[in-house]
Amino acid sequence: MQFTKLGLLAGLAIGALIAATPAYAQVTLKVWSIDGVDRPGIADTYSKEFDEANEDIVVEYRGIPFDELVNETLRAFATGNAPDIVSFDNPDFALFSSRGAMLDITERVANSEIISKAEYFEGPLNSVTWDGKLYGLPKYTDTIGIFYNKDLFAKAGLSEPPKTWTEVAEYAEKLTDPASNVYGITFSARAGEEGTFQFLPIIQMSGGNADKVNTEGAAKVLDIWKSLIDNGYASRDVLSLGQWDSTGVFNSGNAAMAISGPWEIDRMVEDAKFDWGVALLPTIEEGGERSSALGGFNWGIMANTQHPDEAFRLLEYFVDQEDRIFPEFGNLPARGDIELPVTGEAKKDDALKVFQEMLQYAQPRGPHPEWQKISKAIYDAEQQALTGQMSAMDALNQAQATIDTIFKK
Amino acid sequence: MSRFFSGLRDGIGFDIILVGAALLFLLALAGAPLVYNVLMSFQQVDMFTLGSLFRPFVGFANYIAVVQQPEFWLVTRNTLIFVFGSMTGQFVLGFALALFFAQNFPGASTIRGLFLVSWVMPGLVVGAIWSWILAGDFGVLNVILKSLGLIQNNVFWKSDPNFSIWAVIIANIWLGLAFNMLLLSVGLAAIPRDLYEAAELDGANAFQRFWTITLPMMRSTIGAVLSLGLIGTLQQFDLFPALTEGGPANTSNVAGYWSWQLSFQLYDFAKGATVSVMMFLLVLFASVIYVRSTRHEVRG
Amino acid sequence: MTRTYTPWFLLVVALALAAVYLFPLYWMYVTSLKSGSEIFANPPTFWPVSPNPGVYPEVWARRAMPTFLTNSVLIAGGVTAITVILGTGCAYVLARYRNVWIDIGLFAILMLQVLPASVMVTPLFVGFNQIGLLNYPRTAVVLAAAAKAMPFFVVLVRATFMSVPRELEEAALVDGNSRVGAFFNIVLPLARNGILVCAILTFMSSFGEYIYSKSIIQSPALQPASVGLSGFLGPNSTDWQSIMAYSAIYVTPILLAFVILQRRIVSGLTSGALK
Repeated sequence: MQFTKLGLLAGLAIGALIAATPAYAQVTLKVWSIDGVDRPGIADTYSKEFDEANEDIVVEYRGIPFDELVNETLRAFATGNAPDIVSFDNPDFALFSSRGAMLDITERVANSEIISKAEYFEGPLNSVTWDGKLYGLPKYTDTIGIFYNKDLFAKAGLSEPPKTWTEVAEYAEKLTDPASNVYGITFSARAGEEGTFQFLPIIQMSGGNADKVNTEGAAKVLDIWKSLIDNGYASRDVLSLGQWDSTGVFNSGNAAMAISGPWEIDRMVEDAKFDWGVALLPTIEEGGERSSALGGFNWGIMANTQHPDEAFRLLEYFVDQEDRIFPEFGNLPARGDIELPVTGEAKKDDALKVFQEMLQYAQPRGPHPEWQKISKAIYDAEQQALTGQMSAMDALNQAQATIDTIFKK
Repeated sequence: MSRFFSGLRDGIGFDIILVGAALLFLLALAGAPLVYNVLMSFQQVDMFTLGSLFRPFVGFANYIAVVQQPEFWLVTRNTLIFVFGSMTGQFVLGFALALFFAQNFPGASTIRGLFLVSWVMPGLVVGAIWSWILAGDFGVLNVILKSLGLIQNNVFWKSDPNFSIWAVIIANIWLGLAFNMLLLSVGLAAIPRDLYEAAELDGANAFQRFWTITLPMMRSTIGAVLSLGLIGTLQQFDLFPALTEGGPANTSNVAGYWSWQLSFQLYDFAKGATVSVMMFLLVLFASVIYVRSTRHEVRG
Repeated sequence: MTRTYTPWFLLVVALALAAVYLFPLYWMYVTSLKSGSEIFANPPTFWPVSPNPGVYPEVWARRAMPTFLTNSVLIAGGVTAITVILGTGCAYVLARYRNVWIDIGLFAILMLQVLPASVMVTPLFVGFNQIGLLNYPRTAVVLAAAAKAMPFFVVLVRATFMSVPRELEEAALVDGNSRVGAFFNIVLPLARNGILVCAILTFMSSFGEYIYSKSIIQSPALQPASVGLSGFLGPNSTDWQSIMAYSAIYVTPILLAFVILQRRIVSGLTSGALK
């Protein structure tokens, strides 16, 4: 009697628990990224879709301006307010993954039916890997190449884009026309990440990398760049222009070549009143080692999430929808198995093909937890050499000394 | 007890409440962050300990590391040039404008009002606009200077290491002019007219009147303008990311921007805090000047 | 002859000076109307080739401008209120005496202003988080920004109190007023103009408060207009026309209010109304 009574009570309690489950099991996931601040982007759109499609999960999305994202996340992490999923620019990722702030998802990805690690390009995948473990997934990627104004090339009697940096200098001389305010080339050597973004590939082409920057080849190309500026074939303002503004000069017809990436294409299609094309980033010697910058963002689940399973489900949804990121948002997937649809805009389709090829050579910045310090050493050296404050080799040696102290730690 | 209340109403208690409320508020919201930063400059900080006060103590290691950075002396030099150049420009032009608008002519106060525009402009926008104006090739300043025959070739204000710090100073003078002119105008208006009339009767010329009446009478205003100007200039931030990001090669980097860069771009919070504590010394200097200048005040 | 023409000559000079000074403002409006590549054209155009005023409604619609502007007004209003209430009394006392404690007080107030907001935001964020103030983000920003505006206000208003004749206050005390009474009935009304002007200046500068708002206020519905501006700066692109149009929308109303009010502001401060 007593026994059954107890059993009944227990049964009731369990029944109540089950009945209450749907209400209690509702999980809230916080997602942070830079998307959706200005116009709809990947993270905000997909978060909303997932939120609506899943009764048991609520997704709270927050868009944060680009230059604030890392600081916001650091501050939130230190005070226990961190999001569950966050999307960082790829060089910033190691700051978190190397310190155990991101969840190790190696196993989960291996077991996933949706995510296939083998399909990702090597460069983007390296940027989410630390110590052999996978801490995130690439969200999208981009890189840089050399844009050229075909009309101005024809006028100067040139038919092909330059293949080496020596050729760039020769062509720039022919293309420069001070009377009509045309520079031979424009690029960005700004005191910031953009400066390193465009210069690191040169170091990599010469056999160096983030840990070894004082190579002969890099110094040689720096000297070429310096001569471009000193001779007036490139504006001295490449030292303060960001890539977007530098390419703006190209679009207005005031520079015949520009180094930049696929994010420029749509504006160029609209603004440029001339025929243009893109080529692979020039190498140091004919047929020499190729490299290019690796841009783009990564996804990661933060280590202190309360709901790793649900967060991973959301991540799988993001990956599952990756075939939409180019047609809807104009970003390039970091995977080889997604065919880019033809847009019908000939110049754009040609340019994309070049960038797709370039992506195979794109190498990440780092990954290193103190990447930003390495980066500052690199762009400071670049600027010291370009302004003539130091010889190219001396500047790179000084950067190397700073970098050595960072790697020794 | 009643003595206590009457003290509040009538005596020193009333004063203490008035000052105390403001000071407590400031201590909580400005003093505490200051202590946090000073502490941090003696500690080893990483992203996990950002939220706590107790971290490994490292003594003066951060200070030594900051001084040993290759750019330290360059940044120090730039900071002095930036502070001195901006303040001189703002003060001299501000004073000149204040004197000019103190003349009696139609529309004087309306037009003076227009000069306060820079006060309400968001810093980010001011930076962006000046970035356009100062650009080497498509910048409008070069076009104007060339058409006036002042320069032959374009000056690359933002990219030439000899000019980059001056590019920021030019924009900063524009930004701070309103503040200087307004405060100095107020000071000028407070000088009794009859002093000038008496001096004129004595045969003093304009320069003598300025030297013997205007300047001494404005001592406390000038003290306030200069010390607040120094603090404002040291805290100037928005113009740097918009114009040069401290480049090329740190030739336009100053302590305030460097501190921000170390903390929030290189994520080296301890060094960033160390630089901000070093700036403290400069403000200490300014505060002494200001407090001394109030010694000579005459109450009206 | 010179006597009669001098004022008009000065007016012409004044207008010329104003034109030079306001040129950056003009450049903001012109840039907002230019097309994407025209802003990079060399030589620059002083008037857009084909002005595109469509950018204004587009920016207005793309950004929740009314919400942003309302928040800006609320935050600036809150900052001004706190600053005026706490700062006025403090400035009054600091102007009333002349001893070493006053020196220390003034000194402390200036020193508390030493750190740039960007360095103060992390400790404030941590502190606000501890006491749960992050759940009321606009209030938190108001408190933080008021602390930043206070020293400036105190120094300026103190100067105003300095010019209130001390005899008037003493006479009131002799007449049987309490200190409180003398303060509210005699001193405050005499310093009213100066306080009002400093309050307006505080309002205007906190209208653009940015650094605290962007970190403390997470929900876009509560953010001020200054934070909305930074959204135009992307990782690889900067929408300059929209930035300029947005700033124009944001700055123009305050400018208009300012032009309408400025006679009172400037003359209130300078016409010797305190005398």
